Amino acid sequence: MEPILKIESLKKYYGKTKGRTKALNGITFQVMPGEFLGIMGSSGSGKSTLLNCIAAVIRPDSGSILIKGKSLSSLKGAALSDYRGKEIGYLFQNFELLDNLTGLENILLPMSLHKIPEKEGKKRLNQLASYLEIQEVLHKFPAQMSGGQRQRVAAARALILHPGIILADEPTGALDSKNAKALMEKLLGLNQEEHAAVLMVTHDSNAASYCKRILFIQDGVIFHELRRNIPEESRQDFYERILKVMAQLGGGSANVL
Amino acid sequence: MFFKLILRNSKRSRKENGLFFSSLLVAVMAFYVILSLPRQDVMVFLSQMESDAVEKLLTLIPAFYGMTLFLLFFLIYYASRFQLERRRHEFGVYLMLGMRRSRLFVLLLAEDFGSSILSLALGLPFAVLLSELISLITARLVGIGIIEHQFSFSFRAMLWTAAGFFLVKCTASLLLSGNISRQEIGSLLTEIPEGAKRQMPSCVYVVSLLAGMLCLTAAYAMAIHGESWTHIRFMGLTVVLGLLGTFFVFWGLRLLMGFFIRKGNHDRRLHTFDFRQIQETLIRRFGTLALCSLLILAALCCFGAGTAVFRYYENAASHVLDYTFTDTNASDVRRTLAAYRLDTMFQDLFEMKTGRVRTTEDTEHAFDTEPLLAALRSMDSSRDRDVLLNNLSYASSPYLIPLSCYNRLLAAAGQSELVLHPGEAAVYMNQEDTAQGRVQLLNRILETEPLTSLDGDALRLTGKVQGADLVTDRSITLSFALILPDEDFVYYTQGEYDIFVNGILNNHTTKHTSLLSAISEINEKLDETGLSYESYLQNMGRQLFFQTASSYLTIYLAVIFLIIANTVIGVQFLMSQQKTLRRYRTLVRIGAEYEVLCKSARRQIHWYFGIPTVFAVFGSLFGVRALFTGILTSAARSHLSEMMIVSAAMISALCMVEYLYITAVKRSSDRCLLGLMIPKREE
Repeated sequence: MEPILKIESLKKYYGKTKGRTKALNGITFQVMPGEFLGIMGSSGSGKSTLLNCIAAVIRPDSGSILIKGKSLSSLKGAALSDYRGKEIGYLFQNFELLDNLTGLENILLPMSLHKIPEKEGKKRLNQLASYLEIQEVLHKFPAQMSGGQRQRVAAARALILHPGIILADEPTGALDSKNAKALMEKLLGLNQEEHAAVLMVTHDSNAASYCKRILFIQDGVIFHELRRNIPEESRQDFYERILKVMAQLGGGSANVL
Repeated sequence: MFFKLILRNSKRSRKENGLFFSSLLVAVMAFYVILSLPRQDVMVFLSQMESDAVEKLLTLIPAFYGMTLFLLFFLIYYASRFQLERRRHEFGVYLMLGMRRSRLFVLLLAEDFGSSILSLALGLPFAVLLSELISLITARLVGIGIIEHQFSFSFRAMLWTAAGFFLVKCTASLLLSGNISRQEIGSLLTEIPEGAKRQMPSCVYVVSLLAGMLCLTAAYAMAIHGESWTHIRFMGLTVVLGLLGTFFVFWGLRLLMGFFIRKGNHDRRLHTFDFRQIQETLIRRFGTLALCSLLILAALCCFGAGTAVFRYYENAASHVLDYTFTDTNASDVRRTLAAYRLDTMFQDLFEMKTGRVRTTEDTEHAFDTEPLLAALRSMDSSRDRDVLLNNLSYASSPYLIPLSCYNRLLAAAGQSELVLHPGEAAVYMNQEDTAQGRVQLLNRILETEPLTSLDGDALRLTGKVQGADLVTDRSITLSFALILPDEDFVYYTQGEYDIFVNGILNNHTTKHTSLLSAISEINEKLDETGLSYESYLQNMGRQLFFQTASSYLTIYLAVIFLIIANTVIGVQFLMSQQKTLRRYRTLVRIGAEYEVLCKSARRQIHWYFGIPTVFAVFGSLFGVRALFTGILTSAARSHLSEMMIVSAAMISALCMVEYLYITAVKRSSDRCLLGLMIPKREE
């Protein structure tokens, strides 16, 4: 099977030659269609830079990003924003709903941006709204919703155009544990039913335990990888394994495994 | 270190916010231009002849200065507020680092002082230049020789400009800096979105819209119909109705935006987003928008009415006679002029005689007006008819004018002569006091050649109503007179009449120099002859004064109003864009291109400026018409349609200025959005 996302020797440096920060220092990995991949690492390890590079918000210095076999660097102008809107769905830590738009208007925003007639999205909207249980807040403004509802509306917005891959940047960061759990279950469900790959950056070991595979990044390189043995390994066991790695992460690479 | 920080910040502010800095420059120029008015060439020239009127105008200058001060305060307040809002985070950091609030307050004031000094240093030379330019242009327009141009720099005006500017600036800075330095550090460091405003049911907004329209209709109807101008109380009521109407309409407009959100073309990119943004502004800032709309309306009305009145007087200024000598006869005048070698200056000298009926003791009822009144009464009822009926009922003791004198006047004006047989008379009415409609009514009656009587003798009225100026002095007018054949004139006046000698200057006298300077020169020489005379200059002076004063002040006010309104709208837009930058950032993340964002912001700017402007333009058409009702003489009012066209043209010209302003704000917005395309790390 062809990977949906292929990243090779990705490098991104910030600053001038002297004293520059190597945010990404040659990262290589692949994401298969329908895979649920987590990326963990301490603050400043390069997670956000990686996500921004994949979302085509910043340009890497070298290396390549291939989406469905197509190089991201070859996309320009309209094709690039089409990619950002249609190929990937982005889920933010702070939801980033527009506060002056209703839930429904927020969800339909990507369609409006990419000039897709609203009628075409009606069925998809209803399906997502009922799955994510947000029908009753569709006509409310974000200020009138709970945190969990807001993130689910944001999830519907990220999924409305059937993206092949969802990039989630700390999606549970601003949620309480109950809402975080509910969101992760919904994400997992969508991942399994729609075969949309999920690439999730997180600090939260609990959220990470929903992943099939986790990459640990430190100082701009992948330094460890965990795979959940499905179906033998329970989510609880996987969670404990994650915690172990996290504890070692805190001590620096000298203590790792 | 503190001083360095002040200098750096002050410099950065000027670079980053051209809008703010240019509004400071505008303030300086506005102050100077109004204060240097007494030094303008035209005013200096006029004060020699119309010293009373000029004095009166000049006493108004402090009032205008005060008003400018008040209006520019808003301009500077808004521009400075935008400037400070942008830097909230920076102030928060200063406080976090341990800067005392009082020190922050001093920092802000000192920074401001820097930009103020620079604005004055740059603005004053510009202001002097501008005021010179205005002086030269107006002098040239009204035909005063430029040779007599005086440099209009006034030290007093400069001092007052500086004083006014600092007063306005300090008040605004004190208010704003005080407000910023009192705020919590937390609220400075983080962007706090304004809470959502509670919305009422739609029917409330429908009622508000309808009530607003009703108020406005009533206000305009009262002003156009003339009731408002009859009593200060009615004028007050009109103003209150107009203000209330505008605010009601702007308050209710959110409903229309809601309608656009639901019903508009949803397949257009960011349609819903754009209208939600506009709706949000309308909800939050309806008061400011209504105020700006009123300011634009005031600007359009001032400019439209001012230029139309100016043009009217300019056209009405066509004249035939240059001089009228009184207390003498033509041959005496000729002799005196020849003695002083002034006779070659004149192309024509002729007598104008006027007298009363002296053949009867009952001079009050010498002329039988009844046939005219009866004919009028049989006509359809109208305002013009009623006024004419009233005026003619007082015409039973008319002035008499001999035909030969009147024909000389017509010949000088290049018009065909009047023919009257014995027993016939033509009606003369001063046309400056008589509306065109009334003259037409009377002409319709005269077509029937009505038979009436003068001192019991039958008199047939014939021809059209005559109205050429009899003498130079426009303050001497005859509201009703009869032109009689010369023999009849001599008979009825019994040889008792007043003689005025009219003079017309030679073409070559006025060819090389402007008429005004030619008359000025001849006046000096005439003063030596001992002749009593009235020259066109005096009348011209009056005319010129009204022209200059009305156009100068109205255009000045229009420019100030327009600048303030546009700056406030522009600043408001950029401020709300600044506050909602996060939304634009989200749009970028979900795939909006730079062009799409710019287009969306531009559409919002169109609406943002468009709503108050369109509202004001629509209102100004009625406003100008209302002003005409209030300020024009009845004769001028008969040229209403032409004047309305001039006003409409001027209003469209101002709309072009508005367009230029919109383009500038669009550029600023594009620049702001470009900054968003580079992702910012947010934790």
